[in-house]
Amino acid sequence: MGKIIVMTSGKGGVGKTTSSAAFATGLALRGFKTVVIDFDVGLRNLDLVMGCERRVVFDFINVINGEAKLNQALIKDKRVENLYILPTSQTRDKDALTKDGVERILNELCKDFDYIVCDSPAGIERGALMSLYFADHAIIVTNPEVSSVRDSDRILGVLNSKSRRAERGEEPVTQHLLLTRYDPERVEKGEMLKVDDVLEILAIPLLGVIPESQAVLRASNIGMPVILDEASNAGQAYLDAVGRFLGEDVEHRFISVPKKGLFSRLLRRSA
Amino acid sequence: MSIFSFFRSAPKPSAVQAKERLQIVMAHERVGRSGPDYLPMLQQELLAVIAKYVDIDDNKVEVKLDRGGDCSTLEVNIELPSRDQLKAPKADAKGAEAKPGNANGKPEPGKPANASSPAPSAGSVLTNGGVSKRH
Repeated sequence: MGKIIVMTSGKGGVGKTTSSAAFATGLALRGFKTVVIDFDVGLRNLDLVMGCERRVVFDFINVINGEAKLNQALIKDKRVENLYILPTSQTRDKDALTKDGVERILNELCKDFDYIVCDSPAGIERGALMSLYFADHAIIVTNPEVSSVRDSDRILGVLNSKSRRAERGEEPVTQHLLLTRYDPERVEKGEMLKVDDVLEILAIPLLGVIPESQAVLRASNIGMPVILDEASNAGQAYLDAVGRFLGEDVEHRFISVPKKGLFSRLLRRSA
Repeated sequence: MSIFSFFRSAPKPSAVQAKERLQIVMAHERVGRSGPDYLPMLQQELLAVIAKYVDIDDNKVEVKLDRGGDCSTLEVNIELPSRDQLKAPKADAKGAEAKPGNANGKPEPGKPANASSPAPSAGSVLTNGGVSKRH
């Protein structure tokens, strides 16, 4: 039976789609059969980030409406074995996501896949609610910045009251914090919230810290999940986070400024 | 700069790739915005026609699309059931794929597909019922 993971944040632009693409790819790299679903109906972008935008024939909404079979809408990733993408419709709106329809498709996917990663849209309206309703795990994507932290807290409240597990009084959705766009230099200067500050406020376990990285834009430019750029800090940080999600004890990296040698300090001074 | 890099064509900067990808995908979306989503209907009608002659399984229909800059291809692969499919182990669909213009695997004109003509031992595939569209 597959596990459903929702990548959510409340706020837009914090890295949900980047993280969904990276995380799903990371799980598939570990040998788990994984599908990543775009819930942002009308504003589809996961296909671009995954680099399969030219291959979209049918989408999630076509399948919900019975216009196509699930296996016709699933796009197999060309780089990573075990990885599939379920794109959403670019032309319809969020009302197309019916609870029954979403449930039927998630049930079908659960039979065949180990992990189902749901890329939530921003906000707390229908699309976001549908993406988190059936979740077993929630990864809260947060930037070290006041509005993002507040919105994350809001979405945690929604998870605790409006998810299926909450409604049925089952064991609550497991919550994980993924802190993205972290800049240790600005933290050191006192210009950015520290990891510990965010943890103190949100009080949920830390899954990973993804450093601000130029690799993220480069990767999305070419339609490649950044986790496949293993030379980059961000790619490595996502690989670590996937390991922690799978229960491994991985030390956190990239949360402090690397100690500079005498040479680079001299260079910096003269620059 | 080494002498070798002179012979190698430099890879496209990622921003250039980003622009090209966006131009292609958005050109298609802007065209499609006005009209209805025709692919589900196209598929249903195609299947209805084929189902008149052959008993097909909806799950054995594969539709592939590749949107290009000036040429898009739509490829429809339909796996046809064979008479003795239940007995014979199913061969890999790719292996049984018929090339366009090659009659192998296609129902013979004038005969229903499930007639007693010597049928291939495994499921055969109609391929490249493809539509190619130029803009």
